[in-house]
Amino acid sequence: MTASTDVRRLRIHVLRYNPAEPEKAARIQTYELDEAEGMTLFIVLSELREKHDPSLQFDFVCRAGVCGSCGMVVNGQPGLACRTLTAELPADITLAPLPTFELIGDLSVNTGKWMREMTERLEAWVHAKQQEVDLRRHEEHMDPDLADEVYELDRCIECGCCVAACGTAHMRTDFVGAVGLNKVARFSLDPRDGRTDADMYELVGNDDGVFGCMSLLACNDLCPKELPLQSQIAYLRRRMAKQA
Amino acid sequence: MRIVYSDVLVIGGGLAGLRVAIGVRRRGFDPLVLSLVPPKRSHSVAAQGGMQASLGNVIKGDGDNEDVHFEDTVRGSDWGADQQVVRMFVNTAPKAVRELAAWGVPWSRVRRGDREVIINGQKVTLTERDEAHGLIAQRDFGGTKKWRTCYASDGTGHSMLFAMGDRAIAEGIPVLERTEALALIHDGRRCHGAVVRDLITGELAACVARATVVATGGAGRLYRVTTNAVINEGIGHALALETGVAALGNMEAVQFHPTGIFPAGILVTEGCRGDGGLLRDAEGHRFMPDYEPEKKELASRDVVSRRMEEHIKKGHAHKSRFGEHLWLDITLLGRAHIERNLREVKDICRYFLGLDPADKWIPVRPAQHYTMGGVRTDHTGQNPSLAGLFAAGESACWDMHGFNRLGGNSVAETVVAGMIVGEFVADYCEGAELEVSTGLVREFIAREQAYLDGLCSGGGKEDPSALRVAMQEIMTAKVGIFRDGGDLAAAVEELRELYVRSNGIVVASRAAGANPELVTAYRTQKMLRLALTVAGGALARTESRGAHFRADYPQRNDQQWLKRTLATWPNPEADLPTLSYEPLDVMTMELPPGWRGYGARNQIEHPDTERRAQQVAEVRERLSGEGRFAVQEALMPYEQLLPESIRGRNERLGEKLP
Amino acid sequence: MTNTLAGRLAVNASVPVQASRWPARLDLAQSISGLLLALFMWGHMLFVSSILISQDAMWTITKLFEGYFFFGRSYPGIVAVIIALVFGLFILHAGLALRKFPANYRQYALFRHHMRGMKHEDTTLWYWQVMTGFALFFLATAHLWWMLTHPGNIGPFASADRVWGDNFWILYLFLLFAVELHGGIGLYRLAVKWGVFEGDDPAASRRKLRTVKWTITAFLIVLGLATLAAYVKIGMAHEDQRGERYTPAWVEHPEEHAP
Ligand SMILES: Cc1cc2nc3c(=O)[nH]c(=O)nc-3n(C[C@H](O)[C@H](O)[C@H](O)COP(=O)(O)OP(=O)(O)OC[C@H]3O[C@@H](n4cnc5c(N)ncnc54)[C@H](O)[C@@H]3O)c2cc1C
Repeated sequence: MTASTDVRRLRIHVLRYNPAEPEKAARIQTYELDEAEGMTLFIVLSELREKHDPSLQFDFVCRAGVCGSCGMVVNGQPGLACRTLTAELPADITLAPLPTFELIGDLSVNTGKWMREMTERLEAWVHAKQQEVDLRRHEEHMDPDLADEVYELDRCIECGCCVAACGTAHMRTDFVGAVGLNKVARFSLDPRDGRTDADMYELVGNDDGVFGCMSLLACNDLCPKELPLQSQIAYLRRRMAKQA
Repeated sequence: MRIVYSDVLVIGGGLAGLRVAIGVRRRGFDPLVLSLVPPKRSHSVAAQGGMQASLGNVIKGDGDNEDVHFEDTVRGSDWGADQQVVRMFVNTAPKAVRELAAWGVPWSRVRRGDREVIINGQKVTLTERDEAHGLIAQRDFGGTKKWRTCYASDGTGHSMLFAMGDRAIAEGIPVLERTEALALIHDGRRCHGAVVRDLITGELAACVARATVVATGGAGRLYRVTTNAVINEGIGHALALETGVAALGNMEAVQFHPTGIFPAGILVTEGCRGDGGLLRDAEGHRFMPDYEPEKKELASRDVVSRRMEEHIKKGHAHKSRFGEHLWLDITLLGRAHIERNLREVKDICRYFLGLDPADKWIPVRPAQHYTMGGVRTDHTGQNPSLAGLFAAGESACWDMHGFNRLGGNSVAETVVAGMIVGEFVADYCEGAELEVSTGLVREFIAREQAYLDGLCSGGGKEDPSALRVAMQEIMTAKVGIFRDGGDLAAAVEELRELYVRSNGIVVASRAAGANPELVTAYRTQKMLRLALTVAGGALARTESRGAHFRADYPQRNDQQWLKRTLATWPNPEADLPTLSYEPLDVMTMELPPGWRGYGARNQIEHPDTERRAQQVAEVRERLSGEGRFAVQEALMPYEQLLPESIRGRNERLGEKLP
Repeated sequence: MTNTLAGRLAVNASVPVQASRWPARLDLAQSISGLLLALFMWGHMLFVSSILISQDAMWTITKLFEGYFFFGRSYPGIVAVIIALVFGLFILHAGLALRKFPANYRQYALFRHHMRGMKHEDTTLWYWQVMTGFALFFLATAHLWWMLTHPGNIGPFASADRVWGDNFWILYLFLLFAVELHGGIGLYRLAVKWGVFEGDDPAASRRKLRTVKWTITAFLIVLGLATLAAYVKIGMAHEDQRGERYTPAWVEHPEEHAP
């Protein structure tokens, strides 16, 4: 690998809009740069900001695919930018902010606010059976397989890709999304949570909840953490339908 | 001028900050949390490996208890830690794990019966006890005598932070997301809150509170190659430093993790080696046993990192396009194990290296990982010079890690510190009313506003990104794993030049809103100050201790250096920090200085060490029939230091509570 | 602790509030009505395509439904009742499905834009399900209404006359594609929606389901086209004797046909 001749020239088209400057219309801005080995979109965007355009807005935190900050639409599909290698994309790369979330500027969106509201709405935390635990004593026992199963669903990083990928969420802004439904599934599975199916029905037994889902399954197919959203939503739907 | 009032301003929404906020809320006070990012995106989320707590549920953890954890931690710190704080910590860690279990962390659990594991490259069958079935499991980690690291598969930090974040939401704790603290408001004696900047609108406001807690995490971005998140820029450290009053402790103590993937620096967990993974060189030779016959790959991080760099220097590295590196081999653990317990590692290899670690070795090289230094506090988390200023988590130095922290002790520290400091903050609030003049608040906001305006309109021409990159290069090249006087002196000099140049930083972009270029600009000068405290402290400390290794002073020198570095920046016009030192008292140590059990064995003794060692031996002898608690109590009482609500012994399979 | 569910319920203990069960019922009803309609359409296709075997076969099946073999004579009223039931089910299903339709142009445009960018098969299929569903409002209604009012006009000749002579072939051509696409996608979606046939590896099962779905749809469309062609052919040949009813050679006493 010596030649610079076979280095690709990447053309990065970024959808730009800064709500703080409403007088400037949304536009696609194109930048060009040379591809490097092992280049990710994190490297691309950092370089663009450092060398070409310091005003470019985007979010990265862990840059290792675990914090969920950098969800954006890459050539039409939502994904985590930090772990997207340019080698896997054509030379023309179009980047847009995740739709359905409040836009902060350019590629930066307010997923945090959305997720907090969802968590509050779905009361997505363990509702302990007994209030006080004696921390000096042994923890409650839990079947090792069940612990693993709960962990499987606990892996969601709230990146918002499932919501951005969801046709239902595009049309209906109050839909809780796969992320919300997965949370409910996760807490129903957790033996430490005292809530029953009837309690969960209160939260998602409506058309903004599990019955709003139209099973387009883009959430399942594009989830960066490969969560079993298809089966979990189906399972939840069956359980909630039993409440009828 | 917008002023937001609360009882407790918590700067930082990671594990430490959130736990403090929950603690004060439970005591009836109103906390307000600030975070650069949504709290669940804080870097605590990246901890993969686990959390140390001496539960001793697995058979390899049998016999573990606070005493063993204590000794491991103190040895790990190379005797730099405050031993009373370590005691408080090890006694609270099991409670922290159990609290998190109740809040929903899906800790991996013990399964009764036989299972096959890899120890020291060999397959071994372990038989777990019936009565342990369903209790929280532990795995092996570097620098520990027992298997003590509790984990949730390999997403421990993620599960912890999400449980904590959800708990905070459940308790209705308000969080100002995307809000950055720019300066602490203080009058030289007491801290009253902070000037903050909204990272969406760019507006300044003041958050005024009775107590202010810095829980801003690490400062890895001072270095070019780091496992830390891009937001770990040490701004919280700098806030305290810039008060001119509060001190930072031991900033030269910087940990390098042995296994950052090469070249990106993304971490693959210590759990890889804990579970049996091996380090190999270019020839495929497993080299760690040659250097560390006892603990091999599982010596403490500073030692393994140093041995790796040493081995690279000897010419055994694999040479790639981007430079030299070694290999981490986990193929021997088998695909099933990797796909179940080390999935994050598998993902990282797949997405960032394009390889499958079940088939291929992982290219690794040590990378900056952890900031042992931090805002100096006493055991309550409060800064001794600025009342009402507290610190917890990685940004604090209270000081339980000394010169090297053990893997798994950090997330444990964040939660434990949150539990302890939260109580003390509440105690403080009970005795301290909110009293601050709006004049002072106005003055601080005006000062910050003027500074930002200056950056945008100043006549300079320095590019902040360029200065920052230069700083990171210097830190990595000259203030890294192997240090020596010449390099360090050069580093201090070059950093000073950069610092002077940073007065001429100019921001070209006029974008309304947060303006990312402006953000880079104002953080860069803060980071340069911090880099100078690290390099300056390292230059002054003419010994090797823990992660701080001086090639020109390879011995640990207890005689002269059994003391903590304190860095302040009293004069804003100065271009260097002021260093002073706080001695550690050997005569009160439960574990007097000695050999760590791994690494070099050539310290220069402190004059008191022998005397204290004798005392300790006598006490142990005298109380030998009285049980471990009596011995401990006689050597170094600490329980009175803990908040009452979290005192008490911890139940174990072998140690039932009455 | 009023911000927890338990707390809120405790506060409201005197007035037990419970979320409506209707969303669950409606969702179930939509799925069940869809399932029944799809199954009916499979059967329907098999019955009408019996013409490909022979005209006798088609006649026999028709008469079976009219009760001829049970009562010795035909009661088209039975067919009318079946049609009415199907019609009712259809209206119910259409009504329930309307809940999922884009409510306005904005929603429609958002979805289209999203779908085009994503290029995600199941998302695109949903669009086609909506489009075909929309078409069925009219196409199926026309067909069902006609059949309901002419329940006796089913048979090798009667149907062929309608198809060719009355130009129903145009309607049926569109109807065929709309129904098969809509039903196929619908059945597939029902399976993934409720998690049936998931097996141990839901992703693999879903891939299989999709293959099966496309195979069935393709088969039914081909079958449908062939059937339609058969009726067209009969219709053309029978153009001169429009109105005449088919009677198999082996039937001794052809029925009187009430006009
Ligand atoms: C890759 C990696 C893996 C690790 N694995 C382990 C492990 O397995 N076990 C272990 O024990 N430890 C591990 N550690 C260390 C451990 O994760 C951290 O030390 C710990 O989580 C730090 O927690 P914290 O709450 O102090 O800070 P963080 O979680 O870093 O949170 C800092 C918070 O402060 C906020 N903040 C920062 N500056 C400002 C400002 N100016 N204004 C407002 N808010 C601000 C941020 O937004 C953030 O919310 C790991 C570290 C890394 C980098």
